[in-house]
Amino acid sequence: MPGKTPNSNGRKPVENGVQKNSGKDGEKSSAAAKGKPVKKGSAKEGEDMTVVVPPSKNAKQSSQPPPADAEGDVNMEDSEKTEEELEVKVDPVTQTISDIKSNFALLDRAVALFDARFSLRALRSISSLRKRLNPDILAQVIAESYPPTSPSASVAKQLLSAIGRENVPLGRQSTGTEMEIDSEPKAKNGAKKDKETNKELIPEVDVFLAILVQVYMFDTKQFQQGANFSKYLSERIHSLNRRTLDSLSAKVYFYFSLFCEQLTPQAPSPQSPVVTLRPTLLAALRTAILRKDVDTQASVIVLLLRSYLLTSHISQADLLVSHTQFPENAANNQVARFLYYLGRIRAIQLRYTEAHEHLTAATRKAPASQCALGFSQTATKLLLVVELLMGDIPERATFRADNMEQALHPYFLLVQAVRVGNLEDFETTIAEHADTFRRDSTYSLVLRLRQNVIKTGIRMMSLSYSRISLRDICIRLHLGSEETAEYIVAKAIRDGVIEATLDRERGFMKSKEVGDVYATREPGEAFHDRIRACLALHDESVKAMRFPMNQHRLELKNAQEAREREREMAKEIQEGDLDEDDLGGDFDGM
Amino acid sequence: MAAERTLQQIITQLKSNPSLPYSEASSLLSKAKLSLLQLNALTPTANAAPQLLLLARSIYEYGALASIRARNPDAFTRYLSQLQPFYELPSSQLKPDAEMRNKVTGLYLLLLLTKGRYAEFHSELESLGTREGIDGPDRIENDRFLGYPVKLERWLMEGSYDRVWKAMKKGEVPSEEYGVFSEILTSQIRSEIASSSERAYPSLPLSSTKSLLFLDSEGAVVEFARQRGWAVRDGTIYFPTAAEAGEEEEKDISQMVIENTLGYARELETIV
Repeated sequence: MPGKTPNSNGRKPVENGVQKNSGKDGEKSSAAAKGKPVKKGSAKEGEDMTVVVPPSKNAKQSSQPPPADAEGDVNMEDSEKTEEELEVKVDPVTQTISDIKSNFALLDRAVALFDARFSLRALRSISSLRKRLNPDILAQVIAESYPPTSPSASVAKQLLSAIGRENVPLGRQSTGTEMEIDSEPKAKNGAKKDKETNKELIPEVDVFLAILVQVYMFDTKQFQQGANFSKYLSERIHSLNRRTLDSLSAKVYFYFSLFCEQLTPQAPSPQSPVVTLRPTLLAALRTAILRKDVDTQASVIVLLLRSYLLTSHISQADLLVSHTQFPENAANNQVARFLYYLGRIRAIQLRYTEAHEHLTAATRKAPASQCALGFSQTATKLLLVVELLMGDIPERATFRADNMEQALHPYFLLVQAVRVGNLEDFETTIAEHADTFRRDSTYSLVLRLRQNVIKTGIRMMSLSYSRISLRDICIRLHLGSEETAEYIVAKAIRDGVIEATLDRERGFMKSKEVGDVYATREPGEAFHDRIRACLALHDESVKAMRFPMNQHRLELKNAQEAREREREMAKEIQEGDLDEDDLGGDFDGM
Repeated sequence: MAAERTLQQIITQLKSNPSLPYSEASSLLSKAKLSLLQLNALTPTANAAPQLLLLARSIYEYGALASIRARNPDAFTRYLSQLQPFYELPSSQLKPDAEMRNKVTGLYLLLLLTKGRYAEFHSELESLGTREGIDGPDRIENDRFLGYPVKLERWLMEGSYDRVWKAMKKGEVPSEEYGVFSEILTSQIRSEIASSSERAYPSLPLSSTKSLLFLDSEGAVVEFARQRGWAVRDGTIYFPTAAEAGEEEEKDISQMVIENTLGYARELETIV
């Protein structure tokens, strides 16, 4: 097991000499990686966020690599291989291989310095590697990285068999073609290469390669194999207790659950693999909590919520939320997802105020990049419905945003109907766009809006007429009978929607004079809400600040020195070494 | 197989005689549960025989209906949770009986509605949308058993109490068990109407209050008015005017403003 590196407990950094070297290499290679045209940060977030939306929507997302393209890539590379034209200057295969390998250095560094940021950076590069992966490249990387005699050879064998390349021998001296590919990067940094093959591979590298295999399988739609492989992988991760693996294992579970979602029978059916996956995820969550593994905790909670909501097990999802604590310092993307799911649960439970709070936070936390558009759209849709349910009218600007306009169109019509209080428009909108609403799983929420439409209608009438007969109300709102209208209006009066009285004998509604809003506590409350939001924002930004590790010790030292100096000075004053003039002079100067 | 035969017998007994007194029904049911235990079929196991599963499910379903008739909601919810694993089984293992299932679920929805547990009501409703054999909420509304509570909820929410009233009349209720809830619902809507009327009307003649509150006689109206503390004079009900202590509210506002401002000051201090 690679876990048995010189420091057997696996928690401490690897040996010093190795660490230094790899550190330097990491610097070099990461610098090289930065020069590449792919925008890593945004691409990663996109890949991360888009998968959140229901599978049916994925087709629309731009960031999902079109399978046709990937296929084309593979073909092209294959033909190149047969023609033995591998010595071309910028060969995509070589490039990819060296890219993958550059990540090993990052992982090494993450372990050595015990800083998760480096492994996150390695994970971020996955989205740029994603489109260029093929089994040959993976096999080559694996073969080159693992010496045949190393204890982790069995792991490598597993990886190879997963991508259907069992026959590739381990060790650098593989087939002739691969030697040739290797020659190019080797010329550049041959010294580093030799070192890499000679030393033990850390498990982080294993898992990283395994994630690449998962990604490859997902992109080539080998869902069943992917699920099996993920199962094996998650068991392996479970047995390794290394904090530096945290962010990687979160990713592993993420893909595991994605595979399961794609398998038939799909989600709503109780026989779906999503349901059978739950015990595994729950076990992973328990372990993650015990190990204080924040990354896995956050991502597994989100996956579980997603799984529960897919099968509409709302009460289970609610119980999960109430029995676990979502880690405070989780990655931003996970927080955004968590808030979205929480908002959904609360909206279904009619706790609109909470839902509104969570969903607003989710839309704000969603990455602004184009790639996460799917998530923002889905969250915004839900937010709009919740706003309507609360009796608010969403701002017009929300619908004007370029990337939202089309997706939100049905909701725009809905808002119009609710705003005017036109029951007829409302019904037709629902009937026309029922499929869209159902796909967005907002349909049942939208249906609840009916009463809001009626209320708005009554309010509009109460504002426009000082006196209106119940018959007219009944006709305008398309209510069944005058009696119904009477009950509804009475309820509206009680709920404080309108200020009016009813006259039963003569059958009309008489509106009271509308008071001055500015004389009430309303403006003050609105003001207070805004101030509170600003303050919360400030608090969160303070919390989000990152400080280099151990920096505070330096400051403490400085503070201590200062204190000592002060003490000395005090002593001197006491002893009378410092005469009045010294101090007095200071004051004069001021 | 003796136990199985007993089960069959009990089911036919329960089926043929739905108006069995609860004590008898419950003794039958506990006997049935004992035989289920002997057959190891209280909960579905992977290799249980399909007809045994069917029997167990029917027992629970009849148990649920019987407990509703006996106005025992706790027993009903217990039966319902016992039914849940049976409903989750794939249709290849146990043939689904949509009508019975919808009936039981509809009763559960109605129970939640009358208890005012709206959050659970909507959670349950949401899970109906993904249930096999039902495509979307449209179908739910058209279902005899499921549509009933859904419609009632909608009318209650928007305030169409007369429709609720009509729906509770004989002939409109989908089955006898649903009628059990009518009583609770009636008193529920009556108090809703009463509280709305207090605010909406300055005064009301007794005769029209009778129809408004769905009461039988004017005597009942007077009785009801006394319960709610309304004044009855010359055949007219005068509602207590809402002259609530506005002054107190004023005080509340100033107190709130002071609290808020102090809060801002504290926050500012931490920032600066």
